[in-house]
Parts: sequence; structure tokens; C-alpha cells
Amino acid sequence: MALMNIFEGLASLFFVLLFAPLFAGLVNKQKAMMTGRVGAPVWQPYYDLFKLFRKETIRAKSASFISGLSPAINFAAVIIAASMLPVCNAHPLISFKGDIILFAYILGTARFFQILAAMDIGSSFEGMGASREASFAIFVEPIFFFTLGSIAFITGFTSISDIYRSIAMDRMSYTVFIVVCSISFFILAVTECSRMPVDDPNTHLELTMIHEVMILDNSGQDLFFYQYSGNIKLLIYIVLETAFYYPLGAGLTAVGVTIFALNILFVSFVLAGVETVTSRFKLKDMPHYLLFAAAIGILNLLIFTFNK
Amino acid sequence: MNTLQVSNGQAYLLKDIPVVKKDIFFGDIIAGLNKGMKISALFPADRRDKSALICVLADPASSSFRLSKCVFERGKLSFESLANAFPQAAGLENELAEDSGYVPLNHPWPRPVRKQDIMPDGSTYNFYKLLGDEVHEVAVGPIHAGVIEPGHFRFQCHGEYIFNLEISLGYQKRGVEELMISSGPGRRIVLAESAAGDTVMGHALANAGVVEALSGANVPLRAQVIRAMAEELERIAMHLSGLGGVANDIGFAIAASSYGRLRTLMINSLGALSGSRFGRGLTAYGGVNFDFDRDVINIILANLETVSRDVAAINKCLFSSGGSMQRFEKTGIVPKHAARDLAFSGLTARACGIETDTRIDFPYGAYKYYPVSLMTMPEGDVFARTKLRTLEIEESLRFLFEQIETVPGGELKSKCGPMAGSSGVVSVVEGWRGEILHIALTDEKGELSQYKIKDPSFNNWYALSMAVRNAAISDFPLCNKSFDLSYAGHDL
Repeated sequence: MALMNIFEGLASLFFVLLFAPLFAGLVNKQKAMMTGRVGAPVWQPYYDLFKLFRKETIRAKSASFISGLSPAINFAAVIIAASMLPVCNAHPLISFKGDIILFAYILGTARFFQILAAMDIGSSFEGMGASREASFAIFVEPIFFFTLGSIAFITGFTSISDIYRSIAMDRMSYTVFIVVCSISFFILAVTECSRMPVDDPNTHLELTMIHEVMILDNSGQDLFFYQYSGNIKLLIYIVLETAFYYPLGAGLTAVGVTIFALNILFVSFVLAGVETVTSRFKLKDMPHYLLFAAAIGILNLLIFTFNK
Repeated sequence: MNTLQVSNGQAYLLKDIPVVKKDIFFGDIIAGLNKGMKISALFPADRRDKSALICVLADPASSSFRLSKCVFERGKLSFESLANAFPQAAGLENELAEDSGYVPLNHPWPRPVRKQDIMPDGSTYNFYKLLGDEVHEVAVGPIHAGVIEPGHFRFQCHGEYIFNLEISLGYQKRGVEELMISSGPGRRIVLAESAAGDTVMGHALANAGVVEALSGANVPLRAQVIRAMAEELERIAMHLSGLGGVANDIGFAIAASSYGRLRTLMINSLGALSGSRFGRGLTAYGGVNFDFDRDVINIILANLETVSRDVAAINKCLFSSGGSMQRFEKTGIVPKHAARDLAFSGLTARACGIETDTRIDFPYGAYKYYPVSLMTMPEGDVFARTKLRTLEIEESLRFLFEQIETVPGGELKSKCGPMAGSSGVVSVVEGWRGEILHIALTDEKGELSQYKIKDPSFNNWYALSMAVRNAAISDFPLCNKSFDLSYAGHDL
């Protein structure tokens, strides 16, 4: 069985690595179609990544070793995070008691190095982006711990795959609790992956960007690693989002996998829809939005615990 | 006042401009400005011999321009700056210093206008800079992350908060005024059309107004109406493009792409009329080159109907969305007094509640017979500018629907002979951005001896600086797009 588990874990990891750009392409394609355009092919992110990989990497003269290190650390961090995912309820490659903390802070490490790298070059743009990223990170962390953390608190499981396995939608009160968690988590996913309405992934306006502005000075393979990590991170959060609804039938059977795939497609549709009809928030209003998500999580936990 | 009073597009003889002493010259300007006139232009009467200055004051109350002239002693090209009492003169005085070697004494803010860091006296220009532990400077451009025109923006910030924005332009200087003088009559209209690529009709009409007045040509009414319609088509197209830009800057994808789609219909209408989607080649001296036949009318009418129906729907979608209103309202407020002091024109001024519209203040062409309504918004913020653009689209659509079936018959073009000698003319046109001013002077042989162009952007760039003061730096792109100013029009 152990061998089977390792196989499942490897397959999950490859799934995430392979399909991460496709998911980004799908969202973009649907967004284009919703606004009445043809849009780039869904494979476009693969072409872009391939192009970047072959390009020469140019670094700023003022850059130190941090700038060279950060893309690799980012990439490694998202791969580790991806190995902890319960893709379609399969056994993840890495799973131990308390890995929820590892998951949160391995991505935190990636962010830390990216912020360092952004400030490393000394451009005022990137410094601004770094400052924004760091400030919003403060508001993002509570959301994670008041969604996944709440479930861990209630069930007593502290490994991501166990937490998700423990979710059962048999009781009404628990189902409502899980649905509210998933809503809060969606806001977290949107923020973490720099999508609308928090950050606009398609903007060219360097003064309004949060995430994109940090990598303005990167090129070639450095940019490849950042972009690819970004794609993987998006799929990681989407898988975690859909995982709340695994009890509806996702599993390692033909039907289960189909349901899982439909789940992912549905989320990509929702994401594209949200990006089409919302406008970005004012930067100074962003903390309200994030605190709102955290507050939902806290209230949700309180109501559920006292209602038992 | 010792001034010559002329109307928009009226030729006058140069000798009719009263030549006065320096103190009377500036005294008259001050008196005029105190009465609420605007200083339209301040330039040397001759490109080669720069010792004589001509000042043009615009007086909307009487729909006329006041001209006066002053001859300076050679080598003593200095005067007491007007900009301390009338900030609107600051830009023109700096331009005079940079291009013609005049020295405005006690100027509050001497800076290069179209050169980058070099002051007229050869010294290096230093940007305004805040000092302190927690303030930081952000320099943007001239090369931007998107495909837009070049311009340099220098922010003094405290965190996300802007204390001051200084704008440095001139990267697009092509010497349009010089080229206008040196090139032959056949190329002038082409030059005017490319002075600012997004205001082809505006600049072409202002230039045609100048040349036709100097030649004494009579533009047939049919041509005047076709010109006005082309101008309104351009206005709608550019307003739609600007609204799309504003929607795009707040990430409101559905509105952005819908406005973009409708803009294509409007520029296609111009294309159906003139063969160029930007209206290039439509204007000819003495009239227009292309006729409004039944096929063209049908194409344009169909496009207008689609646009007027769809624009209403998208406007509703944009202005009823809480997210976009939150971004628009109270963002980038230009105070009304600043708009008046700095003599902003067009959309920018009207969005601050200032009643100014060249089509009404200095009527020309078809607008003399078929007037348009003046619309203002009091707020002065991004919302006011965005909303005003939608209102102006409605008004332009009304104008077009009214005129399109009843274009007067007659000739398309009348003969436009050589220009009169020793004369001058002031021609203003309301482009979609605001007042476009062209001034020409001729020598004894009827050749151009001086040509001045003033795009509305020349004054209105200061509006952007005013709007982002005390704003958040992440709102800058939205503010910038809400003004939609021209780099090429400023730099010429």
C-alpha cells in the first residue's frame, strides 16, 4: 500500500505541474469569451513559458545573489506545497501531522524571498510592490487559519489531506460551516494568486500592480520560474477550494475523477466571471475586504462551536 | 485697452495690431486677465527676429480675441513674470523662455517645457524634491509598461500617498510649427492632421480655418456641415475609447471591451466617409474632399443607431456598479479655482463646473447655425470626467442624428487661392479634448512667417498634477486616463 500511496502522490504532483498553465489559460480564454473577444488559445501559457525558458536571463546591475536565488526558492516552495495537495482525494506525497503549518509557511517563505528580491534591485516600483505584498500578507494569513485551521480545530486533524478527508456533508450545520469556509477560502485564493478584484493580472499599469510589479525587472528563466510558480500556486489554491466539495463524489474512480475535473472547470468559470464583472478595489480598501473574509471565518467558527 | 479685436477665424492686417510700450502691453494683459479673459498665446511675431511679442487674449464674453504687440529692445528680452498673479501664464512664459530667449523675471517656477533637463540658460534643471526619512521618489517613464506615448512623471510620495507630481514632457517634439512654415501648402493639412494623432479632425479644422481666412475662401455650407459631423464622429469615437480606457484601468473587463467594440463602429463610420478611419484626408482647404452620399449615410446611420442603443446599456452597467463608482467618486479632484487659475480647457474644465466650450464661446463653421448644448459637471473628480464624456457622446449623437438626413446641398469645395500678405488670423476649434488654437502670420509675399499651435493638453497637463495631489499613487493611472491628455499635442 505504501508503494501505491507514493504512486498516487507522484501522480498528483505531476497533475499539478502539468496542468497548472492550462488552468490559467482556461480562465483567460473564458474571460475573453465573456467580454466578446476570441482570446488567446488555452495553450498560450505553455507557449509563453517555453518562450521565456529559452530566453536569455538579464539581471539588473544592482542585483545581489538574492535575485538569482529567489526564483528557484519560489519554484521549490510551490512544488513542496503542491506535494501536500489532496488532488482528487489521492494520497499526497508529503503528509504528516501538522503539515498545514508547513504548507502555510513554505508559501510564506516563497513570498519572503520574492519580497527580498523585489527590494534587492533597488527600483522604486518594485519596492512599492514589495511593500504592498507584505502589508496584504498580514491580512491574508488569518483567512487561511480561520478556514482550514478552523476545520483542523474542530476535527483535531492537522494534516491537509486528513482535514479534507474528514469533511463530510452529512449534517446540515456542518455543511453550512464548510460552505462558508469555502467562500472565505475563495477570497484567500483570489488574493494569494493576485487575481481580481485584489490585483489585476492583465494590467500594464505599473503603479497599481501588487504582484506583477515585483517581477518587472525579471526576464528569461528567472521570469519563467516566477510565472510557472504563479500558475502552480493558482492551481494549488483552486484544488484546495474544490476539495471542500469532495464529499459530493470526487474520488479515484472514473466517475470521481470526472466530477473532480468538472469541479475545477466550474471554479475556472466562476473565476473568469468574477474577473469580467468586477472592478478592482481601491488599494486602501483592500484590507477591509480581506478582514471581511477573516471575519466570516471567525464568526463561522464561533457559531459552529457554540451551536453544537 | 490698446488692442485689436478680432473674431474666431477672421483675418486682419498685421499693421492693425497696436504696437505699445512694454508697461502698457503688460498692463493691458493684466487688465484683461482681471476681467476674466484667458491668455491664449504669447509668442514672437517673427520666427527670425524675435524682438517683437504678440499677445492673444481670449474673451469668451464677447466671442473675440484681443491682440496687442510690443517691441522689445534688442538684447533686453526680459519682462516681469505674470505667472505670480496669473498662474495660467506660467507655461507660456516658460515656452517663450525656452524657444525665444526671453527672460521672465521672478518667474515662480522656471522649468523646461519640451527639453528634458536643460534650462534656457544652459544649467541643469532639478526636479522638485521632498526631503525626509520616510518620503520616497518614484520616477515613471518616459518608457512605460504599456504601448503609450512617452512622458516622464516624478512623484514625491509618502507610502502610497502622493505629495507632488511633476510632469516632464517633450519626448515627442517633432517641430510641427517649424515644419508648417517651411513646407509647401499641399503638406500643411497633412502636418496639421498629425500634430496629435487622436485629434485629426480638430487640428485639421483649426489649420483649415487659418488658411481659408487668409485666402479669403468661402467654405460652402455643405462642406461645413460635413466637417462638423466628422468632428462629432471623432469626438464620440475618442470619448468611447477613453471610457474604455477608464473601465480597463479599474479592471472592469466587460465595459472596457464593449466600449472598444463601439469605438470601432465610430471610427469605421469616419472611414466610410473619408477612407481613413481617423478622418485623414477629409479636410481640404476650401471644403472637404469626400461627399456624403446615400451609401455613406446608410452605413453611418446604422452605426449611430447601434452605438446610441448599446452605449446607454453599457453606461448603465458601468455607473450602476458599486465597485466602479467607488473608484470614480472623490478620486482625483481638481478644485474649481485651480481650473480657473490655470485656464484648463475643454472636458477637463467642464468637469470642474466651468462653462467653456469653443463651439459656443467662439462659434465657427456649422456650429454657428446648428448650436450644441453646453454641459458641465460640478465635482471635478474622475466620476465627473467620466460621466461628462458619456453626456457629450449623447449630445454629439443628437447633433449627428439631426444633421445626417438634412445635409445642405451645394458644392463640396470652393477655390482657395494664395494667402494674403502681411496678415494674421486666430482660429480656435473645440477638439474632443478642448480648445485647439492655431495662429498664423504671413509676410509681405503671403508666405507664413509665424505659426503657433496650442493643443488643450498644453494647459491641461497641470490638471493631472493638481488631481493627484493628496491622492493615492495606485489611483494615478485612473486619474491619468480620465483626462486622456495628448503627449504629441503638447510636444508638437
